[in-house]
Amino acid sequence: MVRVILDVKPRKNPFLPVEAECLVPKNFVDEREPRDLSVWVGNKERRLEEVVTLTREGTATSPEDVELVLRGDTSRFKRVGEYMEAGRITIEGDIGMHCGNLMKGGMIVIHGNADSWLAREMVGGTVRCNGDAHHYCASGYRGEKRGMRGGEVEVMGNAGDFTAEYLTGGSVTIHGNSGDLTGVEMAGGTLIVHGDCSRVCANMTGGTGYVYGMVHHMIPTFRFRETAIIGPEKVKMSVFEGDIANRGKGTLFIKVYKYPL
Amino acid sequence: MLHEDVVCPFCACLCDDLKVETDNGTIVKVDNACDLGNHKFLTDDDHRLKEPIRRTPSGWTSATLQHAIDRTVEILLGADRPLLYGWSGTHGEAQSIGVHMAEVLGGVIDSTTSVCHGPSILAIQEVGHPGCTLGQVKNRADLVVYWGANPIEAHPRHMSRYTTYTDGFFLDRAFKERKVIVVDIRRTQTAEVADEFILIKKGGDYAVLSALRAIVRGKSDMIPATVAGVTKEQLLRIAEMCKKAKFGAFFFGMGITQTQGKYKNIRNAIELVDELNRHTKFTLTPMRGHYNVYGFNEVCTWMTGYPYAVDFCRGMAFYNPGETSAVDILARKECDACLVVASDPAAHFPKDAVRHLGEIPTVQIDPYPNTTTAFCELQIPVAVTGIDAQGTSYRMDGVPIRVKSILNRGYPTDTDILGEIYRRIKEAKRV
Repeated sequence: MVRVILDVKPRKNPFLPVEAECLVPKNFVDEREPRDLSVWVGNKERRLEEVVTLTREGTATSPEDVELVLRGDTSRFKRVGEYMEAGRITIEGDIGMHCGNLMKGGMIVIHGNADSWLAREMVGGTVRCNGDAHHYCASGYRGEKRGMRGGEVEVMGNAGDFTAEYLTGGSVTIHGNSGDLTGVEMAGGTLIVHGDCSRVCANMTGGTGYVYGMVHHMIPTFRFRETAIIGPEKVKMSVFEGDIANRGKGTLFIKVYKYPL
Repeated sequence: MLHEDVVCPFCACLCDDLKVETDNGTIVKVDNACDLGNHKFLTDDDHRLKEPIRRTPSGWTSATLQHAIDRTVEILLGADRPLLYGWSGTHGEAQSIGVHMAEVLGGVIDSTTSVCHGPSILAIQEVGHPGCTLGQVKNRADLVVYWGANPIEAHPRHMSRYTTYTDGFFLDRAFKERKVIVVDIRRTQTAEVADEFILIKKGGDYAVLSALRAIVRGKSDMIPATVAGVTKEQLLRIAEMCKKAKFGAFFFGMGITQTQGKYKNIRNAIELVDELNRHTKFTLTPMRGHYNVYGFNEVCTWMTGYPYAVDFCRGMAFYNPGETSAVDILARKECDACLVVASDPAAHFPKDAVRHLGEIPTVQIDPYPNTTTAFCELQIPVAVTGIDAQGTSYRMDGVPIRVKSILNRGYPTDTDILGEIYRRIKEAKRV
C-alpha cells in the first residue's frame, strides 16, 4: 500500500486552471514514474513537481494499492481522476472542474466542495463529496446523448443545476437540495434527492427518481399514477410516470410538489 | 453618389436593399433602412475614435498605430491564458484571423454568441436544427410564431421583409392569411399585432413548451388548468392552430435563450417543432442579434469544429460553454490578458467579469469608444464593416451576404490590424 501526498505549491497566479488528468493512482504505482508526469498551467506545460511537492509513504504493486492525497488549494485543478480505474484519491479541500470524468473504478473522496462536471460520464467506481457540488454533477458532456452510465455519486451537501443530466445508469444521491432541471433528459439509473429541487426529471425517458423534499415548478407532463409508501421510514409519496411530452417511461416518486401555475 | 443594394450592418436581418447617398465622404441620405440602420449610417462619423489611444497614469493619451500594435503583440505573447473575445461586429475574414491567432497563442476565443444564442447552439447540438432560409418563410409560411422575441423593436424590418407584412409567392393573400402568434412575458409592441398573444409567467417557457408537445401528441389529459399563467384552453387552441397551418415558422429570441433553463428551453422548442412536423411543415430560426454573430459560428466551426467558446490552451481545440466561455473565464479570473474585437463586453457582462477585465491588460479593437474603453489599456480604431470596410457576413438563417464598403474614411480595417498582429505573433513564435 502506498500513500502519495501531493502538496500544492503557492502559485503566482492561483486562478489559472491546472489541467491535471495525470493525477490518477495508476501513474503512482512505480515511484520513478511521477518524474515524467506533466500538467498544463494555462498554455504552458509544466512538470508535476513544479506545481506540487510529492511525498511517498510505502510501496505498491498495483493501482488498487495507491492512495493519492491532494492538499492545499486544488480548487483550480481540473480533471483529477479522469479515466481512473482503481485506487483511491482523497482531496482534503475543494476540487476543480471535471473531477472523476469518465471514471471506471476506484474511489474519490472530496472533503471540500466540487466544481462543475463532477463525475461527468462516469462508468463505474464511487465518488463522495462531503461539501457541495456545483452545476452538472454526474452529467454528460455537451451534445452527448448519455451521461453517467454506472457507479455511485453521493453529495453530502447541495448540488447545482442540471445535476444528473442524461443519467443513464448507476445512482446519484444528493443529501441536500439540488438545483434546477435536476435529472433532465434522464434515461436510466436512480436519482435520489433528499432536499428540494425544481423541474425535476424534465424530458426523462427512463430510470427512477426520488425527491424527499419539495419539487418546485413540477413539469406538467407527468401522469399521476398512484400514492405509495416508500422505504423503511414509510414516506408517503406521489408516483408519476413520464415525461409524456417525450414518450417517456420513467418513474418519479415525489413527496411534495407544486405546479408552475 | 448613390449606392444601391447596400447591406445594413446592424442586425442579423442583413437587409440588402438599402440606398445610401454619399457626398464628399459623408453619408447624407439613407433609404429603406429602419431607425436602427438609419442611425448607424447617418451618425457613424460623429462617434468615431480618430486615432489609437492608451491609458497613462495621468489619463488617456494618443498613441501611434505602431506603438499600439507593438504593445498588443507584447501583451498577447506574454500571457499564459489570453482571451480573444467579441467578433460579432466584424466580417468573416477578420474572424478567421482571430481563430488562427488564438490557436498560435494557445488562448481562448469566444464571441458574443455565449451571451445571446449560445444556448440555441447547445440545443441544436443535442437534437438538431429544423431550419430553413428566410426566403422559404416569406414565400410559404402561413403561421409565424415569435417566442421571447420582439422584432418590431429589435429587428424592425423582419416582419415587413420576411413574415407578417410581405407577399408570399405560394400564398394568395399573404397579408391577410398569415397568422401571427406571439409568446412573451409582457405585452410588447409585437404582441399588439399578433392574432394570438400568450402572456406567460417569467421562467415558464419550458413548462408551456412541454404542455404543447404533449397536446400535439394527443396527450392532454394530465395538463393542469393553467401552466405558467396560460390556460389549458389557450394551449389547446394554439396547438390546433399550429397543426392546421400549411407551413409554420417558429422564431425565438433571447427572451427564451437567456431565461432559466436556457438551452433546455430551446431543446424543448425544437422538439415541439419536431412533433409538429408529424402533422405539417414547421421550421425554427433564432433571431440573431449582431449582424455577423452567425458568421463567427460559421467561421469558428469550419476552422475548429466548434462554433464558439474554443480553448486552445493545450494546442488543440476544446469546447465547453460554461467553462470556456468568456463570462465564466473572466468571472473566475482564469485569463491574464484580453483582446476585445468588435463588441462591448463591459456593457453586457456581469460585474465580476467586467472587474477582471479592468485588472488584466486589455486591448480593444473597435471603431467607437464604448463602455469597454473604460476598462482597457489601449484602443485601436478601425473601419466599420458595411460603411468603410467590406467583407462576408452571415444572416440569421445562415445565408452568407457580401457586405459592401461605400466610402473611404482612411481607417485601417479589422483585417489589416489583426493581420499585422497575427504576422508579428507568428514571427515571434516562429510558426
